[in-house]
Amino acid sequence: MTAAIAGPLVEARSLSRSYRLGESVVPAVRDVSLAIAPGEFVALRGPSGSGKTTLLNLLGLLDRPDEGSVRVGGRDGEALTEEERSDLRRDRFGFVFQTFNLIPVLSAEENVAYPMALAGASAARRRERARELLAAVGLSVKLGVRPDLLSGGQRQRVAIARALANAPSIVFADEPTANLDSHTAEEILDLMRRINAERGVAFLFATHDALVVSRARRVVTLHDGAIASDAAA
Amino acid sequence: MSSLALAWRNLVRQKRRSFLMIAVVTFGFAAFALAGGFIAQSFEGLREGTIKSVGDLQIVDRRAVGKAEEATLEYGLPDARRARALAAADPDVAAVLPRIDFVGLMTTGAKSVPFLGVGVDPGPEAAATLVPELIVSGKYLAGDGGDGVVLGTGLAAALNVKPGDRVTMMATTPDGSLNALDGIVTGLADVRIKELNDRYVAAGVGLVSRLLQSGDTVSKLVVFLKPGADEDRAAERLAKAMAAGGYPIVVRHWRELATFYEQVKLLYVGIFGFVGAVLVVIVILSAAIVMTMAVTERTREIGTLRAIGTRPSGIRTMFLAEGVVIALAGCVAGTILALIVRAALNASGIMLPPPPGATHGMPINVKLYPLAYGAGLLAMVLTMAIASYFPARRAARMPIVEALAHV
Repeated sequence: MTAAIAGPLVEARSLSRSYRLGESVVPAVRDVSLAIAPGEFVALRGPSGSGKTTLLNLLGLLDRPDEGSVRVGGRDGEALTEEERSDLRRDRFGFVFQTFNLIPVLSAEENVAYPMALAGASAARRRERARELLAAVGLSVKLGVRPDLLSGGQRQRVAIARALANAPSIVFADEPTANLDSHTAEEILDLMRRINAERGVAFLFATHDALVVSRARRVVTLHDGAIASDAAA
Repeated sequence: MSSLALAWRNLVRQKRRSFLMIAVVTFGFAAFALAGGFIAQSFEGLREGTIKSVGDLQIVDRRAVGKAEEATLEYGLPDARRARALAAADPDVAAVLPRIDFVGLMTTGAKSVPFLGVGVDPGPEAAATLVPELIVSGKYLAGDGGDGVVLGTGLAAALNVKPGDRVTMMATTPDGSLNALDGIVTGLADVRIKELNDRYVAAGVGLVSRLLQSGDTVSKLVVFLKPGADEDRAAERLAKAMAAGGYPIVVRHWRELATFYEQVKLLYVGIFGFVGAVLVVIVILSAAIVMTMAVTERTREIGTLRAIGTRPSGIRTMFLAEGVVIALAGCVAGTILALIVRAALNASGIMLPPPPGATHGMPINVKLYPLAYGAGLLAMVLTMAIASYFPARRAARMPIVEALAHV
């Protein structure tokens, strides 16, 4: 289980981020402030180009803002070195991507064990926990199988198990159902809801999938890089 | 999953590319090991040949160092028998050979040719040096040499003489008068340096002493040490013993006398260094291209690894490890290749052209020289590490978001 943390897990304060596109500068996120509390199940929605993925990347410490700051467990993410931000992502965060992003040369079990190896867990501990997590996502029979031999839904389950490897307090999921058929997408969302309920892990989705939005308990709507609405579902 | 294990998996995934890169290292390493073995063999042969000619040490009059004699035996060692016995008493000394260097004119009556002569003690000289092996016609000097002389084939051709023919040697004595003696050609030697071959004469010290009227004076004592003897310590002891015996001498080492050896060695080291540098550059360029391609192809994977908590240093280590694994695999294969090629070359009997100044080539003989293999391993590992460093650094510095979005 995730350790209890007082206050928000992740907090964005007046975040702004722009990208250069040829000669022009395109603002992706504009003056966004947002806090995610422990155990939340939040969807960031909005049309393409509204800044969902950019905001998710900033909150997940994958990118640095032009202005504003991201605080993780009370620590200012912008004041940290790349090595410290890596350690924070490894220990506190989990990531699930639209294209699954598993390491192709590793088996399902090794993919799940990899973040634990980064954290210095023993081989026995990694093996035990990887098997436990793969059983929890229904893939006990696929331990030694490489990602290219798994279906899309199975790959996303392995990715979810990997995201949970180091018992994170929050999982960032960027369009996790976009490459799945509707039935598999529903199964994956059910799995995430169950993990959220049973393990207390918060989830933050960037999505424009209505199914994901319908399952969220809080929906933040972005429009042109700014928060248009933030409401409980 | 260690960085090395992950590196190995990635190399296995990219079989064709990894094979090509390992092949480059394999050939580079094998070339390194074979060239090193060949050069080591050449050095050893050159060293042995040099020592067989000039001895491990030479005892000469102190005044002879760096000076040319204006008169015959001007700086000779008098009372040579006693000096020889003194030197031979050293526990590390295997043989002490007296030599008298002299110049003169050799004639058959019809023709006269200047010569460079050496007076020797034939028995020990034959045992310790290569001269008897150079005899191509007739025999080397026997016993104390008697009236026998050995001529270089070039000199014999110039004089038109053969074994059994009589020749007359003329030379100046230490007091400046001219003396002449007859000698009988016992054999012809093919001395491997052409200029010397055209002038070479060897005769017993007895005959030469009579010709020069020099009594018991010799030019030098050539000392051969027992195998494994410490050259420096032996030289020190000999210098003390000879000084105590009343001889104002210096002991010279073979390296001081064989400037040719050092020049050839420098030439070989230069050639080897150049070839090695070319090999290293080829391996670095090939490896850098392959590693850059690997980084580009795995950009999204790098983004994923960074996202889930791999530190930039971890990414750098992973790609460096791939380079090192390629180097190690290439060195293992290169060792096998080098051993096969070495065996084939040594069995081939290929003759190498003669080195500068020599008249004969020698069969190729590549030595198994562990230092060359060790140096090859070090060079390949360092080369691959250097070649991998910049692509690895690029991978480690890649912005995560850009890497994740890479198509």
